[in-house]
Amino acid sequence: MTTLLVEIVTPEAALWSGPATALIARSSVGDFTILPQHTSTVGDLVPGIVRVDTSEGEVSFCVHGGYFQVTPDGADGVTRATVLAGIAELTSEIDVARAHAAKDAAQEELNAAQRSDATDASALALARDALARAELRLSVSEK
Amino acid sequence: MAGGQERILRRRIKSVQATRKITKAMELIAASQISRSQARIFANRPYRQGMQRIIIEAALGDPAAAEKLLSMPDTVETAIVVVVAGDRGLSGAYNSSALRAGERLIKQLQSQGTTVRLFCVGKKAAPFYRFRGLDVERSFVGFADRPNFSDARLIASVVAAPFTQGQAQEVLLVSTRFLSAGSQSVETERLLPLSVPDAPIDETPKVLKGYTEFEPDVKELLTSLAPRALESEIFSALLEGAASFHISQQRAMAAATDNADDLGQSLTRIMNRARQDSITTEIMEIVGGAEALRSGK
Repeated sequence: MTTLLVEIVTPEAALWSGPATALIARSSVGDFTILPQHTSTVGDLVPGIVRVDTSEGEVSFCVHGGYFQVTPDGADGVTRATVLAGIAELTSEIDVARAHAAKDAAQEELNAAQRSDATDASALALARDALARAELRLSVSEK
Repeated sequence: MAGGQERILRRRIKSVQATRKITKAMELIAASQISRSQARIFANRPYRQGMQRIIIEAALGDPAAAEKLLSMPDTVETAIVVVVAGDRGLSGAYNSSALRAGERLIKQLQSQGTTVRLFCVGKKAAPFYRFRGLDVERSFVGFADRPNFSDARLIASVVAAPFTQGQAQEVLLVSTRFLSAGSQSVETERLLPLSVPDAPIDETPKVLKGYTEFEPDVKELLTSLAPRALESEIFSALLEGAASFHISQQRAMAAATDNADDLGQSLTRIMNRARQDSITTEIMEIVGGAEALRSGK
């Protein structure tokens, strides 16, 4: 029996790992599904939902950009799919109130940064990132 | 006055004991932080290794593109140096060894005619370099004890900007690497241009051979991968720095506690002797007085 072993990894912790039947996500090229025995693949992930289908149902993650790597059939006949994401969380664990607050704060920061000329580009980029994350969390949790 | 000496000693013993309490508390706190910060290093490892594997894979997938993107420029006019030190002192040689290594690196680069732009992490770093007349472009403080990934992202975005804009050709990182609980060492590594890790850390290279699909193609992937890999490397350096800091502090404070014990003991001995001496002197005086009275009768 070949199986698919999915790992969702963030810098702070391994978020989730376990056997799965499929991994569904979107790269900058388009939507894709990884099934057991998928060929060796490396790619990126655009911010969005990564869905993992397991025999007990599906688990979905909100991933704020990242990369994935599939390594097929090692000696043990297991296809490993590793998702690397700087920031990711279980969709079910998104705190909507917090995301709303974060969105407002990020919007304010962005406005302030745009009004004053003195702020450096990196602060602007970080505020923009924060806003994008909050918006993604909200759009994901509404579904 | 015999009692004066004793009182001074008693006061010193008290002060040594108070200091000992502080160093002991710091030792215990540092010890409790060690295991926590070590656990964070281990939690970070899968991500870091995954990143490195992807870079290796991409570099093997299209060596020509990788060569172009990852190779060193012929001349490095400006180099960015990032030095990671701690926010607090009282940690043995942790800060000074990283800072000195950074200083040596800067001197070496400058002697080769390279302009150095310096970025610092940790409260202890910037004053060290400013005192030595070096300009610190930006200093990141307040998280050296417990770094978050967002801190690493901030540093990465600031440090990568001059590189991507072509103002600098190289980004170097000086930090204390955590090799094991017993050994840490200060190392310098090149962050940008990305260096391809020598070998995958835990896996046999056989899975890396063969045909691999890339989505998008290698060139695009490597370009977008560079800032992410930078974040990952900086984060792991911060985590290892924090763990090294706690270990170093624990060791320094344990030594300080031992010293306070020794000092307290020897001071107590001196005080006891002083007290005994004063008692002896008093008895001698009484006996002498009594003798004088009797012989005078």
